[in-house]
Amino acid sequence: MEITTVPELSVRIGSLTLRTPVTTGSGTFGFGSEVAEFVDLNKIGAVTVKATSREARAGNPPLRMVETPAGVLNAIGLQNGGIENYLAEKAPFLRRYSVPIIVNVPGENPEDFAYVVRRLTDSGAADAIELNISCPNVSHGLDFATDPRLTAEVVATCRRATHLPLIAKLSPNVADIRPIAKAAEEAGADGLSLINTVIGTSIDAKKRRFRLANITGGLSGPAIKPIALLHVYRAAQAVEIPIIGMGGIMTATDAVEFLLAGASAVAVGTASFVNPAVAIEISEGIAAYLKENGFATVGALVGAIEP
Amino acid sequence: MKLSAPGHYVLTFDAGQKMASAVKPGQFLGVAMDTGGMQFLRRPFSFYSADPETGHASILFSVYGATTAQMARLAPGETLDILGPLGGRAFTPDTRPGAHQVMVGGGYGVPPLAFLARRLLTADPDSSVTLINGARTAEFLVGTEGLETLGIHLREATNDGSRGTQGLVTLILQEILEARAEHVPIHIYTCGPTPMMRAVAEMAMRYEVPCQVSMEVFMPCGVGICMGCAVERTDQTFARGCTDGPVFEAREVAWK
Repeated sequence: MEITTVPELSVRIGSLTLRTPVTTGSGTFGFGSEVAEFVDLNKIGAVTVKATSREARAGNPPLRMVETPAGVLNAIGLQNGGIENYLAEKAPFLRRYSVPIIVNVPGENPEDFAYVVRRLTDSGAADAIELNISCPNVSHGLDFATDPRLTAEVVATCRRATHLPLIAKLSPNVADIRPIAKAAEEAGADGLSLINTVIGTSIDAKKRRFRLANITGGLSGPAIKPIALLHVYRAAQAVEIPIIGMGGIMTATDAVEFLLAGASAVAVGTASFVNPAVAIEISEGIAAYLKENGFATVGALVGAIEP
Repeated sequence: MKLSAPGHYVLTFDAGQKMASAVKPGQFLGVAMDTGGMQFLRRPFSFYSADPETGHASILFSVYGATTAQMARLAPGETLDILGPLGGRAFTPDTRPGAHQVMVGGGYGVPPLAFLARRLLTADPDSSVTLINGARTAEFLVGTEGLETLGIHLREATNDGSRGTQGLVTLILQEILEARAEHVPIHIYTCGPTPMMRAVAEMAMRYEVPCQVSMEVFMPCGVGICMGCAVERTDQTFARGCTDGPVFEAREVAWK
């Protein structure tokens, strides 16, 4: 069947409407300004900016990133200028565009998260907030998303601090993502981002040393796509709230696979390192897929897979 | 494409007049090749030349991995997937009258210096430019073709003495710094392996001579979004090698 109308690409995450289901993964697209000369930001579903914490963070020493087979292992360590720097230096540029802004927020405790969430809400410098409760690259227990109780605590504290859509970014480094997804939903999350990177390391046999100064890093890229697809599929069975699927999406076909697994939207991450305009190309590719396969809307594709 | 020395290639491509006019010595581009999926990040290459009139530009490389192996197999007329020009801070030529511009390069650090040297001589044929090229052995001394005919003073150093001075580039640099005249300002520009640049930077600081370094760090994206190419500054903050650099003042960098 061939339909002649243009397929409807818009999707909703809580009260936020995205013009296309393709967003950018936090930490893989800077603050938009870096790549504005290569890509029309208004054609992206939403720009999810680099993690922005309460205080500035210097990040980890080099080496921070290595390429591994079909993947990239990173240990950036959440380098960022802090919330006040974001509000003064970064947000004004992106606000010149109509693209929705999702700000990724890490924190060391629920109060840290809530502080940044309140600043973002009061300033109007975000359209949605992604709670980064799953960064693998910082010590002292920032990986709240390996525990349903800690997940719920952060989400509930932030829920009281904002009316903006809250998206909990979950970790793949768990045996079963379902109780954690459920905990985030029950605590008031409007959506889930999954997955964050997969924890790993890389060793240089010649030098007999770890390649990353931090020893451990988070793996992204095509190597983790099967892991991400399964977590998205399982979480989608457990919750009603929309999921932004991510993990190794390089092409429109990859994105369609995530939608079929149950994601309502997707994020491209590592692929933007190679081609900063890839989010738009994937968006166009999804539209072509919908048209070729007779789907009138992106929503019709979500979870449309035989069990 | 042509072989500049055994295993070393100069790849000339049509960058277009816009890019060829915009590019400054020290800037680079990212090349993506289809390597079958195992490796997909772009690899950074400094510009070796760029001609605003023809729109042609070139890079110099040797085969060391999947991307460069593919590049070596490119045939004339094939399309090259590039992103550029990249680099937020290029070399800034010293404009003090009569300045002696001293370039110190090693291996793949030589192409951007050769580019800078040629640009300086083109802008002012009376410029005083010395390029010190260092390598393990004579066959790795690359990137200086045609420079001497332009009037660039070429000095060479090899570890094994197979060409030029036997020893490190800093031997020649020290000789130049020791012999400097009071009224002739010197400016050093360096690019190459980090241990070499560190030695050059420390010598420049010791002699209180300005020195610009182009940091050779792995640049996963090249456009400032991945934060993977961190260069530690003396104030303990991390700069991005790509968009905050790749060129830094020697004294800005925390040499470790």
